[in-house]
Amino acid sequence: MVQIVASITSLFFMLVVTAVFAFVAMKSREKRDYEPIKKKWYKARTFYGTTLVILFLVVTIYTLRELPYDQPVYGEENLPIIVDVEAIQFGWNMSETEFSVGEPIEFHVTSSDVTHGFGIYDEDKNLIAQTQAMPEYTNEVYITFEEPGTYEILCLEYCGLAHHLMIQKIEVK
Amino acid sequence: MSSVVSEEKSRNNLVVSYLTIGGIVILAMMVFGVLMLLAQGGVLEFTPAAFYQFLTIHGTGMVGAAAFAAAGVMWYFLSKYVELSKKIMKINLVLFLVALVMVIIGVFSFEYASAWTFLYPLPAISANAWGVTGALLYLFGMLILGVGFLLLHLDMGRAIIKKYGSLAKGLGWDVISGKKAEKDAPSSTVVASTMVTIVNVTAITAGAIVLIMNIINVINPSFTFDPLLAKNLTFAFGHIFANSIIYMAVIAVYEILSKYTNRPWKANKPFLIAWTMSTAFTLVIYTHHMLMDPVMPKWMLIMGQILSYANGLPVLVITAYGALMIVYKSGIKWDMGSGLIYLSMFGWVVGVVPAIVDATIVVNHVMHNTKWVPGHFHMYMALGACAMIFGFMYYLAKQDSSIKTNKIDKLAFIGYTIGILGISGSFLVSGALSTPRRWATHFPEWMAPANVGAVAGVLAVLSLLVFVIHFVRYLNKRNKVDYKQDDKKLA
Repeated sequence: MVQIVASITSLFFMLVVTAVFAFVAMKSREKRDYEPIKKKWYKARTFYGTTLVILFLVVTIYTLRELPYDQPVYGEENLPIIVDVEAIQFGWNMSETEFSVGEPIEFHVTSSDVTHGFGIYDEDKNLIAQTQAMPEYTNEVYITFEEPGTYEILCLEYCGLAHHLMIQKIEVK
Repeated sequence: MSSVVSEEKSRNNLVVSYLTIGGIVILAMMVFGVLMLLAQGGVLEFTPAAFYQFLTIHGTGMVGAAAFAAAGVMWYFLSKYVELSKKIMKINLVLFLVALVMVIIGVFSFEYASAWTFLYPLPAISANAWGVTGALLYLFGMLILGVGFLLLHLDMGRAIIKKYGSLAKGLGWDVISGKKAEKDAPSSTVVASTMVTIVNVTAITAGAIVLIMNIINVINPSFTFDPLLAKNLTFAFGHIFANSIIYMAVIAVYEILSKYTNRPWKANKPFLIAWTMSTAFTLVIYTHHMLMDPVMPKWMLIMGQILSYANGLPVLVITAYGALMIVYKSGIKWDMGSGLIYLSMFGWVVGVVPAIVDATIVVNHVMHNTKWVPGHFHMYMALGACAMIFGFMYYLAKQDSSIKTNKIDKLAFIGYTIGILGISGSFLVSGALSTPRRWATHFPEWMAPANVGAVAGVLAVLSLLVFVIHFVRYLNKRNKVDYKQDDKKLA
């Protein structure tokens, strides 16, 4: 799950940052000439900076391989179901709300009033996909449900006083 | 000598006014933050209207007050290098107070609650929750706030150009290109101020356009605008303006740490290149707020991710690294000022980590607009930018008076650190659990982290109260005793 990977990655690097700052703070009361420290640390910075740039490049290339914006390639036997979604203060008008496991679905999402957020939650309340629901524009979400169950659409962009009540159930069999 | 002292005192009077107002408003906004967390945790119950009014005032007030106080910090140090207009500084103060009153009246008397994002066309289409008056008070208030800051930044830009020749030279481009020696580079304060001037004038211009568009739409809804353009302008304004707070306040880090450690923090070529990178990236990376708008050109969204990563480099490789280097084996004598300043660099860097993770498109797809987002920005805003401001407040009090800190201040330092880490940590956990942000109520499985955050928030509020009381005590003291000129040999 993406959330777990993101959390563990963040926690790891945040702990590294904490350790470095704590180490330097502990060493701060000692007093040494600055020039040799600068010389040594500038050398280390070249290595550290290069490592960081390489790390960012690798992560960038890896994470940009598949993007949620890319429409999947469908076989002739497996064309997607197009679901028109219109957000309106404070509910969802959807052309279909019942789906089957394994069938590709395209949610075509727009809004008839203000900007909303179209977030798909699984039965465990994990967010599995989202897009913005904007007036005058249609955003698309491509998804194939792998587990049966009752999923929920929650509004993820603040849209007014009943924003938190914009919930729509969908069934996947 | 007496005229120099009186000039110095008059200059500092303005700066302490900025810091006092900023500190008190931030404290008040924190209380609203705790109330919202308690409501989400199911401990308190109030109407959704009240919750979203708190949300609106909290976001607007925090960014406005932190920017205001950070501008005071920047003005204090920059005025040691260039000649700034006190009149403009005063006008900004008056406009800020006018804007504050308008926003408060709009939100609490006229129930305006669009959140700080005021995403077009929400100000005009509220489902009858608020009317035209509330929306206009808020939008005009924001516009007035922007005008004040615009004047301030234009004055700073004018003063920098007058002394150094151009904004490019303020950024040290003549040193980067080799036309000028490194030893003649502008100071770190001037470089940072030039960067902030460039980005904030741009941000405020974008903000003014979208505010005026909204105002016209509120007055006459038949005049409509492109919602995607409005959203771009809103985030160009909001992202840059909020980001600039830390770039203004970091000047305190450069000045104070080098003074405490007796080690120079000179602007060398890598430093100047880093600040030029920050200038460029800060202007364009707002698109990472729009990664869930696939109707945007795809290349802009991909650049949003790449440039957000790249924007981490100047702080990670230059500023934070420089802070660590200058403190390492320096024999520094820690006190509240230097402690908070050092803490602020930690807060900034540690907050950058989850921010960069969230700027990854595939991650953003399942974490955008969850509480992960306030998780990372509370780290680098509250533990980063605000700690810089509070550190400067302690520094100024020490420089400017004979006031002493005591054990309560030290406890408050620990309390603030734990409190903000607790709030941010609880947000990050909530985000990992997919809890949406900006929800008046939570499902039961999402409530526990909100309550942990609220308890941590109470600790942060009490700690900040100690910081503010210390500053007010200093104000009383400096008004009673003869003014002691602070050390202005920084230039």
